[in-house]
Order: sequence, then C-alpha cells, then structure tokens
Amino acid sequence: MTPSSKAIAACALLIVVCIGALSFWSEVRNEEDREWVTHTLLVVEKLQAIRIDITQAETGQRGYLLTGEEKYLEPYQAGRDQLDRDMAELRDQTSDNPTEQAAILRLDPLIAARLAELSGGIELRKHSGLLAGVQAVAYGNTGGKWMGQIATQIEEMRRAEDQLLSSRLGTASASTRKMKVVVVCGNALAILILLVKGLVIHRETGRRNLAELNLKHANERLERRTSELSETNIELESFAYSVAHDLRAPLRHLAGYSNVLLQDYGPQLEAQAQRNLQKIADGAQKMGSLVDDLLSLSKIGRQTLALEITALDSLLRQVVEELAHECSGRDIDWRIGELFSAECDSGLIKQVFVNLLSNAVKYTGKREHAVIEVGQTEQNDERVVFVRDNGAGFEMQYAGKLFGVFQRLHKARDFEGTGVGLAIVQRIIRKHGGRIWAEAEPGHGATFFFTLGSPEIKPATQPELTVSEEVMHV
Amino acid sequence: MSNEVEILLVDDSPEDVELTIRALRRSKIANEIQVAEDGVEALDFLFCRGSHKDRAFSHPPKLVLLDLKLPKIDGLEVLRAMRADPRTKAIPVVILTSSKEQKDVIKGYNLGVNAFVQKPVDFEQFGEAIRQIGMFWMLINQSPPPGESAESKAQGA
Repeated sequence: MTPSSKAIAACALLIVVCIGALSFWSEVRNEEDREWVTHTLLVVEKLQAIRIDITQAETGQRGYLLTGEEKYLEPYQAGRDQLDRDMAELRDQTSDNPTEQAAILRLDPLIAARLAELSGGIELRKHSGLLAGVQAVAYGNTGGKWMGQIATQIEEMRRAEDQLLSSRLGTASASTRKMKVVVVCGNALAILILLVKGLVIHRETGRRNLAELNLKHANERLERRTSELSETNIELESFAYSVAHDLRAPLRHLAGYSNVLLQDYGPQLEAQAQRNLQKIADGAQKMGSLVDDLLSLSKIGRQTLALEITALDSLLRQVVEELAHECSGRDIDWRIGELFSAECDSGLIKQVFVNLLSNAVKYTGKREHAVIEVGQTEQNDERVVFVRDNGAGFEMQYAGKLFGVFQRLHKARDFEGTGVGLAIVQRIIRKHGGRIWAEAEPGHGATFFFTLGSPEIKPATQPELTVSEEVMHV
Repeated sequence: MSNEVEILLVDDSPEDVELTIRALRRSKIANEIQVAEDGVEALDFLFCRGSHKDRAFSHPPKLVLLDLKLPKIDGLEVLRAMRADPRTKAIPVVILTSSKEQKDVIKGYNLGVNAFVQKPVDFEQFGEAIRQIGMFWMLINQSPPPGESAESKAQGA
C-alpha cells in the first residue's frame, strides 16, 4: 500500500469513527431529554395532586364545621397528611432546579396560611359551637382568597414546566435533525472516500500485477541464462576432460618415440641430430606440463572447498621441509615466522604455499645467499600473510599481469615456468574470499601478500566463467 | 607353461601399446602379453569366447592393464563385467589411463579396481611407472588361485 492510499484509508476510518462518536453522543442527549420530559410530567402531576389534597382537607373541614361530627375530621386529616407527603416529594423532584425551588418557596406560605385558616375554623367549631362554625364557613372569604392564590401559583408553576418541556423538546428535535444531517453527509463522504480508495487499490493492483509479471519474465530469463551457463560449464568440463585425455596421449607419444629413437639409434646419430631429438622430447614434455597445469587450474574452479580450521604454521613448515630437501645444494636462509590459524581448504592453501615458495626458490636461483621470509602482518584489521624473497623481483608496472594465465614477466631462458602457478594461487585465494597482491623492485626481490577472507559458502553453485575467459586470452 | 598369458593389456592406442610393451620388456618383467584393442576383445579373452573360445578359465592373466576410453565397451564396463563374475572377480586390474578425472577414479575404485595410474607424459616417468606396476603385480604380489574367485574357494573349503 502506498502512503497516499494509507492516508485515504485513515481519513475514511476517521470519518466513520467520528460519526459513530456523534451518534453515541446524540443518543445520550436524547436519553437526557426524555428523562427531562418525564421529570416535567411528574412535577405537573404532583402540582395537581397538591391541589386535590388541599381540596380534600377543605371538604373534610367544611363537613365538620356543619355537622360537628368527628368522622369528617378524618378526610381532613388524611388530606393534610397527603399534602405534606406530596410537598416533600415535590421538593425532592425539583431539588436540582433553583427556579422551581423558588416557586415552591412562594407556594409554601400560601398553603401554610390556608391550612392555618382551616384548623382555626375547626378550633372555633369545637369550642364555640355550630353557629360560629357556620359563620366561619359563610364568612370564610379569606379561604377563597388563599385558594385562588394557591391555584394561581400552581398554574404558574405548571406553565413554567410546560414551557421548559416545549423548549427541551425543541432543542432535542433540532439536535436530532442536525445529527441526521451529519450522519447522512458523513456516511456519504466516507462511502465516496472508500470508492476512491477502491479505485486507487484497483489501479495499484494492476500496476503490481504488471510488475510481478515483469519480475516473472526476468526470473525466467535468469533461469534460462543459468541453465545455459550450467550447460556451458558442462561443456567446459568435457572440454577439459578431452584435453586431458586426447591431448596428453599424442604428447606422450611424441616424448616417447623421440626417446625411443634416442635410446635405439642415439649412438649412430650426429651430436646435432641427438640435440634436435632431445628438443622434441623436451617440447612435448613442456607442453604436457602446461596441459596438466591448465587442468589443475580449471579443477580448482570446479572444486568445492573442504573448509576446516587449519594452523597455517604447520602447513607452511611441511612445505618448507619438502622444498628445502629438494634444493639442498643451495644456500637458502629460511626465515619462518609465526602464522595464525584460519578456516580454509588445507590442501589448496598448501598448494598456495608450494607455488609461492617454489617461485621464491626459483627467482632467488641467481643469488649466492638467498633469503626467503614468511610471516604475518596486519592491514586494515585484516591478517595478512607475506612471502618475501631477495630474488630477481620485477617491475611494478607489470604487476597487473602477474596473476594472469600464461603471463610471464621473465624470459624462459632466465627462469623456467609455465605461467600458471600464480594464476592458480590467485584462484585459490579468491575462492577463499581473500585478496592477493605483490610488491617488488627489479633486482631487489619481491613480496607477495595474501589474506583469507570469508570463504565461499556454496562455490559449487556459482558458474566458473573465468576458466573460459582466461583460455580465450591464450 | 612359458607361453601362458601373464598380462592382458587393454588399450586402443597402438603407440601406447608399443611404448608399454617396450617398457615392460626392458625391465624384463613379462614375456607373454596379450593385447586387446577394445572392450569387446578384452571380454572375449577374459571369458574365453569368440576368437578365444579355446582358452581355459584355469589360466587367467596375472594382471590386467586397463585403459578407460575404449571403442565399443569402455574400460569401466569391462571392469564391472569382470567383478560381477566369480571366475574373473579376483584377477588384479590396474587402470592405466591418460586422465585422472576424479569421477573416473571414484567409479573405478567403487567397481573394485586394484590400482589407478595416470600415464605420465614424461618418457622416463612413464617407463618407471610401468616398471613399478609390473614389478609389484608380477613379482611381489601373490596372485589369486586361478579359476573360481578366492572367496568362493574359501567358502567351498
């Protein structure tokens, strides 16, 4: 998903969440409004009940005044009691509304005055007899006056409640209407955004499918190329095999028959003829070595590294011992330092030492006192092995050619060689993930340096192309 | 007994055959050498059939020098056939070839070859290799009894 499409999705989600929150809030408000409506109706009902209570008390009192019978005092008293309860309830119901509380405070003295009048009439009838009672009923003008005020007050309160109710209902319906607009518009917007988003996803999917298709094609091309390469590799292997078998046989015959000729007819031949025959035999011999070297070079390319922790020290000492034995007639000062241990293919690294030290022995051949030094040093946190000699050396401008196949920096007349040894060394070092380089000065010897980096994990799966490249250069 | 075949030399190159026989003769090792120029000829000789049907299994060669790249049937097939038959199973076989291709070496030993030698290009080294092979297998080594393989003999006894 691209950042823009993520933003679009987030936007739509935000709108939907907001609509949800608004709906919830509006629902809560509606609930409150409904509670208020109920409350108002309860208050109105209670006000009604209070009027009835007073009327009941009045009726009971009037009955007593006229008859003097105690039984009429019961409804009177019940009315008063009910009135007290209803007033208390009204106070409770309006406790959170100061305006209503104020109205009740205004109602209270009126009711108290009317009740006092009623009980005063009863006292008069009790102590002064029927006449006084009748007079009290007949001239009870003040009763009418109080009752009128009470009714007015209650009516006022009822109207105030009605107004409150209608204003609350108005607010509620307005907010519901607004809410409806918000919900409808918001949902429409969210749907629109999601549609746009869907369109974007559709187009992105199209692009992605196209990219995947391209990638698939690229992979197929790569696989084809890989299989072509491995075919080339197999061809190369069979080429190497036929070089080994088919080329070596005629060479062996050349060397063999010229030697047979020398053995059988040598004595009858002139010295020049013998020399020429020997040259043929030597040439065949030399070409045999070239073929063998080339084969071992290509073999290293195909070989899988057999890695193990190896003490380079002991490997080196073996090689030096063998070499020193071979050149026992010479004055060579071997200076062998301490070397580190490394994870490497010990057979191949031994080959590296053999080739480098044989070179050192060879190129110090014209020194009366040869010095060959092997040791380790450090460069950029990397451990480096060096092989130094005081031999012929070479000019640094040709250093680039040093490791090429069949590349030689010396005349065959001066120093023999096939020009494959250092190419083999370089291939082994590279296969181990290391580097090799050299420093030299003509007449003052040469120093070869190499590192053993991280060895190839799966060398077998990597097509070895350099063999054919190098063979081409030849 | 002197004309019994001591070495069967299987090689399709007349030059190699000539140089090998010369080297053997000069080190005075073998007199009776039979040459087979392809795998079929080698098997005919070993199994006493075709042009060799008059030969007897009781007189096997003391050594087979076997090249690998041969016309018709190659050297490894010859070796396989020899090792599969109790009558030829125990005859010493030395592969003598131009190549030392690792897969051939491995296959050769898996099929039960006794030695694997690459023909050196150098004439002197070649002569020396042939001399040592002849010396060891003809003179130093104790050959298996003729006919049945050593193993089946031991079981019969």
